[in-house]
Amino acid sequence: MDKNQLSSPYWKWIPAAFALAGVILFIFATFGPPASSSGFVAALKGAIEPLAPAYVEDKAHYSMSGGPGSWVFAFVLGMAIGGFIAARTFPVPVRDIPEIWEKRFGNSRIKRYAATFAGGFIILFAARLAGGCTLGLFISGSTQLAVSGLYFGVLIFAFAMITARIVYGTTGKEEK
Amino acid sequence: MSAQIWLGLVSGIAFGFVIQRVGATNADKMARAHLMIEGGIPKFMLLAVMVSAVGLVGLQASDVGRTLIIPTSLVATGIAGILFGIGWGLCGYCPGTTWAAAGEGRMDAILALLGGLAGTAVFAQVHEILIPLLYAPTNAGQITLADWFGSSLAAAAVLVAVFAVCIWGISRLWERD
Repeated sequence: MDKNQLSSPYWKWIPAAFALAGVILFIFATFGPPASSSGFVAALKGAIEPLAPAYVEDKAHYSMSGGPGSWVFAFVLGMAIGGFIAARTFPVPVRDIPEIWEKRFGNSRIKRYAATFAGGFIILFAARLAGGCTLGLFISGSTQLAVSGLYFGVLIFAFAMITARIVYGTTGKEEK
Repeated sequence: MSAQIWLGLVSGIAFGFVIQRVGATNADKMARAHLMIEGGIPKFMLLAVMVSAVGLVGLQASDVGRTLIIPTSLVATGIAGILFGIGWGLCGYCPGTTWAAAGEGRMDAILALLGGLAGTAVFAQVHEILIPLLYAPTNAGQITLADWFGSSLAAAAVLVAVFAVCIWGISRLWERD
């Protein structure tokens, strides 16, 4: 371990994992399996329902979901608040374009925003097909020893690693 | 406000804070994790699941909490996992981290969140076509490791052992923490 890592403001993975497990178990005890991709459904349901109540009632994906008054919407809203508080109390400034992306593709905001919009589209489309995301399916599922969560987990890590290789090539490797 | 909303809000704030502190809301660190440069975040995720799984066996033994197993569909869960991995590798965010990273004020995460809302809307529109087509035919039901290993305690022990090997592998194969 070099000096650079010792002075890092980021939490080490072991204590951070125990902290997160504490939060996860609190959620299981007070609510049930945590999830975040269904927070997107709840947000959309809240936005669409006043405009087109018949459509929302007709569509299985909305009718089986909670709305903005549900635990899961409060949870994702809480995550945004938690992120806000955490960033305001952290020495590393927030960036709109990650360093490694800038090194590879330059500082075009349009390019980066187009990529994250597309990425966001894909992950939510996929999560809604599987019935959960990194949290709702991999973490919650595996915690409950569900085969679905472990199967999904293996695939998402494998394909994210392959995709990152294609997107970034050897960028990041040379700065050891 | 109902108790559920307060509990959700408090849980979300704590969750969002912890994932920011470990660097999971930083797409730069996530990319370096996927590129096998920094192993801290994947090890953090695996250890968090290990501890939670053991803790949940304890909670259930004392009859506390609620569980809900998502079914395994060989085809739908598989296609979704592949697509999800591609999107995650491309943008460095997953659904949960977009909310926390958007709260941090990262503009690229706000765009990922908007893309996510669009992806959700499109899926909701085609749900009635895709679920019977991809999900239902190979739906193996709510299977868990406990069905395979006899008891949830034995299954949790297997999960802990396998995840421990994965963490050891990441320590060996990734360049640094």
